[in-house]
Amino acid sequence: MTDALTAVSTVLRRELATVARTPGYALLSAGLLVALAGLVAVGGGGATGFVPAIVDLLLPAEVLVPLLAVVLGYRALLVDGASGELAVIRTYPVGVVEYVVGVLLARLLAFLAVVVVPFVAVGVFVWATASPDTGVFATHAGVDSPLLFVRFLALVVLLGAAYLTLSAALSTVASSRRGAMALGVLVLVGGVLGGDLAVLRALRDGTPAAAIPDLVALTPNGAFRGLVFEHVVGVAFASEGGFVNTGRALGSLVGWTVVGVVAATAVLAYGRRLGTFVERVRVRLVD
Amino acid sequence: MRRFDPYGDRSRIGLVVVAGVVALAGIFTAGAFLADPTMATPDPVAYDDTVELGVSSETDEVMAGTAAVPRVQVFYSQLQYVVGYNGVESFADTIDDDRTERQFGYPLVAYVETFDDADPGTTDPEAGTTDPEANTAGSDPGTVGSEADTIGSGAALFSAPGPTSWTPADEARYVVDSEARTSAGAVAVPFADRNAATAFADEHGGEVVDWATVRARSFDVDTAATVRSMAPDRWTVADDRLAAAESDADRPVSVVVGDDEPTLSAAVDAAPPETTVVVPPGTYDGPIEVTDPITIVGTDAHVRGDGNGSVITVRAPDVAIAGLSLSGTGNLTRDADAVSDPPDADADGGEDADADGGEDADTDGGEDPAAWDTNVQLGYGHGDAGVRAIDAPGLFVDDVAIETDASGVLLREGSDAVIRNVRVDGPENWQDGFMGVIGMESTVTVTDSAFEGGRDGVYLHRADGSVVRNSTFTGNRYGAHLMYTGDALIADNTVRDAVYGGITVMTRPANNAIVGNDVRDSPAGIQASGTRTYVGYNTLADNGLGFSTSSRGSLYEHNVLAGNEEGARATTVVPSSRVVGNDFVGNDRHAGAGAGALRVWTDGDRGNYWEGADAGPHAPGDRAYRPTSPVDAALHHETAAVTMAESPAAALLDRLLGTVPGARSGSIIDTAPSPEPHVPERVASATDPNGPPVQGDWRTALADQERSTDDGGNSTTQ
Repeated sequence: MTDALTAVSTVLRRELATVARTPGYALLSAGLLVALAGLVAVGGGGATGFVPAIVDLLLPAEVLVPLLAVVLGYRALLVDGASGELAVIRTYPVGVVEYVVGVLLARLLAFLAVVVVPFVAVGVFVWATASPDTGVFATHAGVDSPLLFVRFLALVVLLGAAYLTLSAALSTVASSRRGAMALGVLVLVGGVLGGDLAVLRALRDGTPAAAIPDLVALTPNGAFRGLVFEHVVGVAFASEGGFVNTGRALGSLVGWTVVGVVAATAVLAYGRRLGTFVERVRVRLVD
Repeated sequence: MRRFDPYGDRSRIGLVVVAGVVALAGIFTAGAFLADPTMATPDPVAYDDTVELGVSSETDEVMAGTAAVPRVQVFYSQLQYVVGYNGVESFADTIDDDRTERQFGYPLVAYVETFDDADPGTTDPEAGTTDPEANTAGSDPGTVGSEADTIGSGAALFSAPGPTSWTPADEARYVVDSEARTSAGAVAVPFADRNAATAFADEHGGEVVDWATVRARSFDVDTAATVRSMAPDRWTVADDRLAAAESDADRPVSVVVGDDEPTLSAAVDAAPPETTVVVPPGTYDGPIEVTDPITIVGTDAHVRGDGNGSVITVRAPDVAIAGLSLSGTGNLTRDADAVSDPPDADADGGEDADADGGEDADTDGGEDPAAWDTNVQLGYGHGDAGVRAIDAPGLFVDDVAIETDASGVLLREGSDAVIRNVRVDGPENWQDGFMGVIGMESTVTVTDSAFEGGRDGVYLHRADGSVVRNSTFTGNRYGAHLMYTGDALIADNTVRDAVYGGITVMTRPANNAIVGNDVRDSPAGIQASGTRTYVGYNTLADNGLGFSTSSRGSLYEHNVLAGNEEGARATTVVPSSRVVGNDFVGNDRHAGAGAGALRVWTDGDRGNYWEGADAGPHAPGDRAYRPTSPVDAALHHETAAVTMAESPAAALLDRLLGTVPGARSGSIIDTAPSPEPHVPERVASATDPNGPPVQGDWRTALADQERSTDDGGNSTTQ
């Protein structure tokens, strides 16, 4: 194992231990499971198949997945810095990149356990219980397959990863827990509402409708929604797709994730120097 | 807190396991995107297991096994049920309908019944010769199966006695414009193999085309809108029949009972054909048998039977009976031997099984329907009656009152009859009596009559083209009850206090119009099975159930449903009917739904009026209404339901329903509820406990509609 991998693995395990010692996450997971199960049960889609169940879950997923990702990420890179542990860690042969990647990977694994496991549970429930209303007639699955639910899960992971790294990146610039929370809420509101509002605004200002597939792909939520329509729900419709520019949407989701990682690394690596530089400029200007 | 060592061996193993699981999940996920769920093509199923839409197969020829209709089974992307179509044409007609795709998705795969090894041919036309040219000459080359093409007795029906197989529709070859017909018109005959198709075309004419060509053709498939447009004509036809009967009955007097002959019986025997027997006031002894085409006219004359058999038996054409009151029938309601003879076929049991099956699941009862039908024909047509007609076409019964312990007027074997101003009083307990008018294989016109007590007011069995109108039914088991009877008009009748239901159509006939009736205080208003039924302008109040949508491909519109326990009930598993423009007021439950896909009771921007639908801070008609949702269902009698309906949770659920409707179950949604009742006057009468019977002014309205929309027949009815 190379040094870098060892470093990542070490940080990862340390971070996993932190996550495992936070009982609140288990509660979050249980809460999410209750919410999802309730939606599927009341919405009624789960009784008949995966596609209607996904339709029932799409809107809640757009809110709950970012929320939980932010909850998992908003302090991820703040605490070590604030407590001085990061400085200690830096005395070991662990680079900033390894540190950030290790922490975020651990948080991503936590996300899988906290968020994706309840979704999987709902999927298994639908698989086990969905059946036609009456056995008098011959039935078939139509376009309905567990594969579609797996696709949905994959997109949920991509959406969550983007929010996780973005909120973690913002946590690096926060100076206090309260500040981190505020920044987390900013990410959440900006992501869940802001992006689509901006697109709506652009359309009202005369952007041609033909630009929607590209515009909508720019924000994580728009990209996620578009991909779910294109590759999960839309499969049950005859139309040829075109709910979103798939390549752009995928690029957007992955891109936001990478942006988060890079930004976090950059802030941790150069933040102090940047701060010093800004201070120098300020002093010079004031003088 | 439990000990947790992130750097211990167990953690290392755990990490490796997690890494492995994540990697596997990643590969599986990649697979999920690579696999194409739309490529799964289910294999064909037994046709009897499909949910059948389209033309009813229950024509006599098909039932007898001499004729065949090519069938199609379709697997839709959003619908769990396999849908069956009788006739390639009826499938081709529906796939281009927007509503089909909106509700069921697109066809994943469609199989057509192919006849390569089925010895395809045509039945022997009764006329002996059929000119293949004659069948196609009259129709537009791009049009198949127009109404004018509907077969008469001389056409060659498509037949295929041998075994058939299922072939994907886009791989099959089709012979069109051949001499072969079905009862619905021209037929496209599918073959799996091109050579087999060519061979059929060589023998029976026509050309071989592929699926794309068949799809591109336009088909004149009859719809319920056609039935709607024909309803006023049927009323006129009844007027014509009445006028003809009146003029036939106007005959010179030959015999006056008491003056010329001592008894009524002797007078009837003595009267020459085409003359009138006059019956002065008084009481006369029956039974009477009429064997000549004569008119019997009484004034305050009472004919008393001897308590056995029928009071008057008619065995001649064009007999008219007027101005009599009849009593003293026997109490034999039917031929008990015929009904109970086969061990497995008790008539009542069969009938009820059929009714339940037909309503709930579109299936026939468990018993062999053909055997049951035979029993009914043998048994039901052979009881006692006030007037019994056997093979007596042109019978006219006018202004006759009948007190009976069995049937009032019994018509059998082509006794086409006009019955006007007849009053039948049966026993209070329906089990003790039988039908007011029973028509077996006879076209019956009943008008301005009244039926009280007894089993069914009017029972029609294989009585296509019958009309029952302007009549009153009180305390019968069913008011009007149709079996195997299509092309009928049941209009402007009043039913009160029925024991089972107001108007019921069983088995699977087509093209019935049930219009302008007023049914109250009965367990059920209108229950019509079959296909292409027009149920319009009816007022159904204070019943257990207003109407059920058991008839497929039908129109339910302009009805008022007030004060019923349940206004309307969606029964067929796969929705194929249109339910719009109805007013639902003051029902305990406006509507309910049985198992099956989501029903959308909206046509474009036209919905129904639901009392309570506009409760809450909305512009009226702004919000979709779901009568099957517990919150929406309570809006008209529980103000607090508004509070619940405005919750984000309810708003969220509102959004969800209506997406992938084929895969939603047991619900009804009206996406464009009407802000106002369509017919406030009828609603007012229906909600008044002492309200007079109301009949919608449907003849004017339908005539206006026909005038204003020349393409009225193309309204979207699947």
